[in-house]
Amino acid sequence: MLSIKVVNLSKHFKNTVAIRQLNFEFAASRVTCLLGPSGCGKTTLLRIIAGLESPTSGDIYFGDERVNDLSTSRRNIGMVFQYPVVYRGISVYRNIELPLLREKIPASERKKRVTDVIDLLGLGEVADKDITQLDNASRQKVAMARAIARQPKIILFDEPITNVDTSSKLVLKRALKEVMQQLKQTIIYVTHDQTEAMTLADQIVLMKDGEIVQCDEPRKLYLQPESTFGGWFLGNPGMNFFEGECAQAEGKSMVKAPLFPAPLLLDEAYTGDRITIGIRPEHIKVAASPSAGSVRGKVVDNLITIGGQRLLTVEVNDQRIKAKVDHKLGSSLRDQVWLELPLDRIMLFDRDGSRIHRKFAGFRAG
Amino acid sequence: MKGIAKWLHERNLFPYALLVPVLIFFIVWNILPLLWMVGLSFYKYDITTGEPLKFLGMDNYQAIFRDHGIWQALSKTFLFVILAVGLETILGMALGFLFWGSSKMPGRRLALTLLFSPMILTPVAAGTFFRLIYDPVFGIANYYLEAWFGLKINFLGDVKWAYPAVLMVDIWMWTPFMILMTLAALGSVPKAELEAAQVDRLPWIRRLWHIVLPHGKFILMLGILLRTIDAFKTMDLIYTMTSGGPGNATELIAISLFRKAFEAFTMGNASALAIISLLIAIAFTSIYLYILNYKERRA
Repeated sequence: MLSIKVVNLSKHFKNTVAIRQLNFEFAASRVTCLLGPSGCGKTTLLRIIAGLESPTSGDIYFGDERVNDLSTSRRNIGMVFQYPVVYRGISVYRNIELPLLREKIPASERKKRVTDVIDLLGLGEVADKDITQLDNASRQKVAMARAIARQPKIILFDEPITNVDTSSKLVLKRALKEVMQQLKQTIIYVTHDQTEAMTLADQIVLMKDGEIVQCDEPRKLYLQPESTFGGWFLGNPGMNFFEGECAQAEGKSMVKAPLFPAPLLLDEAYTGDRITIGIRPEHIKVAASPSAGSVRGKVVDNLITIGGQRLLTVEVNDQRIKAKVDHKLGSSLRDQVWLELPLDRIMLFDRDGSRIHRKFAGFRAG
Repeated sequence: MKGIAKWLHERNLFPYALLVPVLIFFIVWNILPLLWMVGLSFYKYDITTGEPLKFLGMDNYQAIFRDHGIWQALSKTFLFVILAVGLETILGMALGFLFWGSSKMPGRRLALTLLFSPMILTPVAAGTFFRLIYDPVFGIANYYLEAWFGLKINFLGDVKWAYPAVLMVDIWMWTPFMILMTLAALGSVPKAELEAAQVDRLPWIRRLWHIVLPHGKFILMLGILLRTIDAFKTMDLIYTMTSGGPGNATELIAISLFRKAFEAFTMGNASALAIISLLIAIAFTSIYLYILNYKERRA
């Protein structure tokens, strides 16, 4: 199967830079999600790979072949768009069959491929219906089926479930997951929805302002973001960040921060004087009574429930911090709470937001 | 003034009051003349003799149905409409697609502007140009025909050639309109669908059939409808070139009408013919609307 490689790729639109000097290789036979906020260049990158947009500079390779000069139709890709594309005036079956008509394959093989994807995506009941009778979600399924049935070496998805209503989203996501597990193709999936990326991807490429911020498997990306951007963008809500002062004492680096009862020691020396401390809301331990290592805080907001959990906003020494707690605990809490930030869950970043590979070893004795 | 506005406002009449000026114009310039014409079509009214109007009943209509010349003019007009609109549509769509696909061609804008220029001309001016171009002695068409093929054709004076020659001019003049409509129709097609067709490697005929026509058919049909009504009324363009001649080779229904009214001055007769033309135009429109809505009605 084919890997996709971009080398020194840049794309400028009139006044903006969509992609700057990008170098990346999309692994063959794996699902890679391009994730990032709108305007980060992820869709542009996908469209350049598809040949629907030409790069300002740089090269694109499918395997070892440079494809810059190949038109879209000669790149042999499948693509599913954000807008569910169906060909009108024909049945669902014919829609899926249409791109296969030009392939040099026997009619029996063609029929098998079409019926196989129809089964795979559960379109059997509507196969003979006219395409216009289908709702958006089913149309998008047809579009997926069409991309899969031709068995191209590369399949591209451009936010395929963004335009679908919420209840159908889950159905489509499930269908996609199932399909992706069976396919051996190289798949690139663009989305701005982190849960989609988390569910579907083998690896996630996080993008910002036309550059790649981090590329990792979903869990690692979530737990160990290489930048404050990654920590903030992923999660619902994203990571808490607050500043700490770093000083050298007794040959060790020591950090003072408002959310800890005592100064902390770093496991290895760090020479900067400021440090950004990040922790995810769900990793913070909240209790109604004090314990070792906890600080006292005041609950300023306790209204929002996310996925069965309470989202608390707590003020500690003029610093606001978000914490996610069990719903039952959340509703029993009064104004005053004690927070404990488990040291092994804390990520450290420098002033520019890049990760510092240090850990807190523990509180300074005394 | 303020009092009137308030009075209208309280009775919810303000929107109607705003429409009054337009309605007055519409009634005075459109509705009344039309009614006047309907009335006139039942009378004998010859403005050269100065005789008082004489009621004839359906005589004017009967005369038209018995008039062999009118039937000839009608069949010439129908043929003209079919050929002109048909060729304009085919050519216009082909060129429209070409322009759509050539978005990166240098000078595209200039080419488009030049291409649309015939449409902007007054038909009388265009007719005059072509009378000069077609001229058997001084015309540039004959100059080249003679230089290259040794031929000399009296385009507008020859019974065989006059009809195709004026048809050609109408096509020259109105194909740009269909290009414009095609471009508008293509503009209404979602970009993703055309891109998907590229990805799926669909041949152009399938792109046309499954993507462009389903989205653009309303605009294209509207263009064809407007052109049909307009072609049916064609008068000034041909009148400046041939005045309907030689003989009656290029005498379309609108020219017959003009002759009855302003050459023979038989106003009653002309009015009856105008009413019949109007009914035919309404019939055209209804047929198109019927075709356009056919699928929706069936569903």
